[in-house]
Amino acid sequence: MLLEVENLELAYGEVPACRDISFGVGEGEIVTLIGSNGAGKSTTLRGVAGAMLPRKGRILFNGEDVTRMPAHRRALAGVALVPEGRRVFPALTVRENLEMGGFKYRNNQGKIRTLIDRAMEMFPRLRERTGQRAGTLSGGEQQMLALSRALMSEPLLLCMDEPSLGLAPMVVQDIFRSIRAVNQAGTSVLLVEQNAHYALETASRGYVLQTGAIIASGSCDALKQDQRVKEAYLGRK
Amino acid sequence: MTDLLALVVQQSINGIYLGCLYVMVALGLTLIYGVLNQINFAHADFVTVGAFAAFFTVTRLGTKLLGLPDTAAYLLSMVTALGVGAGLGLAINAAVFAPLRERGDELRPLIATIGVSVLLENFQLWLFGPIPFQFDSPFSRETIRIGRIFFTAQSVLVVAVSAVSIAALYAFMKFTFLGKALRAVAQDRETAGLMGINPNLLIALTIVIASALAGMGGALLGPVLVLTPFAGATVIVKSFAIVIIGGFGNVQGTIIAGLLVGVIEAFTVQYLGSGLIDLVVFVLLLVMLVVRPTGLIAERKEENV
Repeated sequence: MLLEVENLELAYGEVPACRDISFGVGEGEIVTLIGSNGAGKSTTLRGVAGAMLPRKGRILFNGEDVTRMPAHRRALAGVALVPEGRRVFPALTVRENLEMGGFKYRNNQGKIRTLIDRAMEMFPRLRERTGQRAGTLSGGEQQMLALSRALMSEPLLLCMDEPSLGLAPMVVQDIFRSIRAVNQAGTSVLLVEQNAHYALETASRGYVLQTGAIIASGSCDALKQDQRVKEAYLGRK
Repeated sequence: MTDLLALVVQQSINGIYLGCLYVMVALGLTLIYGVLNQINFAHADFVTVGAFAAFFTVTRLGTKLLGLPDTAAYLLSMVTALGVGAGLGLAINAAVFAPLRERGDELRPLIATIGVSVLLENFQLWLFGPIPFQFDSPFSRETIRIGRIFFTAQSVLVVAVSAVSIAALYAFMKFTFLGKALRAVAQDRETAGLMGINPNLLIALTIVIASALAGMGGALLGPVLVLTPFAGATVIVKSFAIVIIGGFGNVQGTIIAGLLVGVIEAFTVQYLGSGLIDLVVFVLLLVMLVVRPTGLIAERKEENV
């Protein structure tokens, strides 16, 4: 397993947002965490990326215990998070945002140029906007930028937090196609999505979160047939 | 040249000189606010420490120990003040601010800046006593005359040093990887961390840059201040006003506001009398707070640095 999460508990102040969460992501896999708003999906993902340190439990990444490791060191170890709401640096240009994503290659300008070229091949729209402030981009363009920025560090594990949020269906399809392409190129993906349709189509395995705990898990094909998942998230009986 | 034109040019030059002095102090305040979202009440004391470092470089280290001419000693004093400011900033951040920030508390680091201020003032009071030191710049004695316009070599030096500092800061922020990372941390600290940027390192760097500027500002201001352990306090209130007029955390706005306040002061002295300087500046501040509370250059906060 590339990522192993054991009995994770994360809390905002005194209030636990998720309890006793255990799951894993294998090398080359796309794994999804689904669940309704407030189920603790984003919190779990932030825990994996190190944006929040856990109260209990253990996180193993690439054979290393990263439980107490701060976010910036986890990024260098190969975890990249595309945060909820994109969180591009609004006053930096598109190019500067990408450069920040490649911070660990800051002493290798050639490498950064190659990676930026690759990002712009993936999303030609970004090429037209290189010198533009990221804050002026549309939501879809920002999501493309946020994804490309995360890929600049050539991560082993790409964590995506609600990539479909607030985007037009066409753009969402584009983003999910890119996620699959990234995965086929060898990057493992941990996908958090409210839109269970998209998530279960894209991933191979999934975990269902409810009020901070995992209530079901299995292959996506099996989850699609699961009665609770059908009723709660796929909107059919 | 008519009398009026000569007067306007003369006072503008005086004002720009004064404004540059303010900018050197205010820039650090605005940088720290922009990146840390925190007001540094100890900033004035970094100016004082810089002024004392410069004073002793001129009177002891430069002229006595190294046997330099006083002009060279004064130039050297700017470098030592810069270094002492940077070193002090680094040390105080590591000893006080960083451990408090680590606990994730916003209020404690703020209060700590007041504590550091009191500490530095009293430490200097113990070292240097309350009697003002006479700090003269050899460049103040050189007067340059162009037609009917007069200015000192000191004012040329101050404007040149400020311009170079501002240009260097701008180039650093705009063109270097570290400078861009600093802006990223200012805009979104958590996301910057996700990029592999260590926010604590860049916060330390910000404090070092701000303190270095304050220290060098002390060397430039020394000759116009009454040099006591509380000297920085006399410019810091106006610097806060400038930072507010320019828009808290906005580097560009702060530079413009600093120059503007300098020029307004010079003309106030000419037409209304020097006793009214503070009144005019703070009326301007109040008007700004009412009319344009976001500062001269209104942008969203995260886009400033």
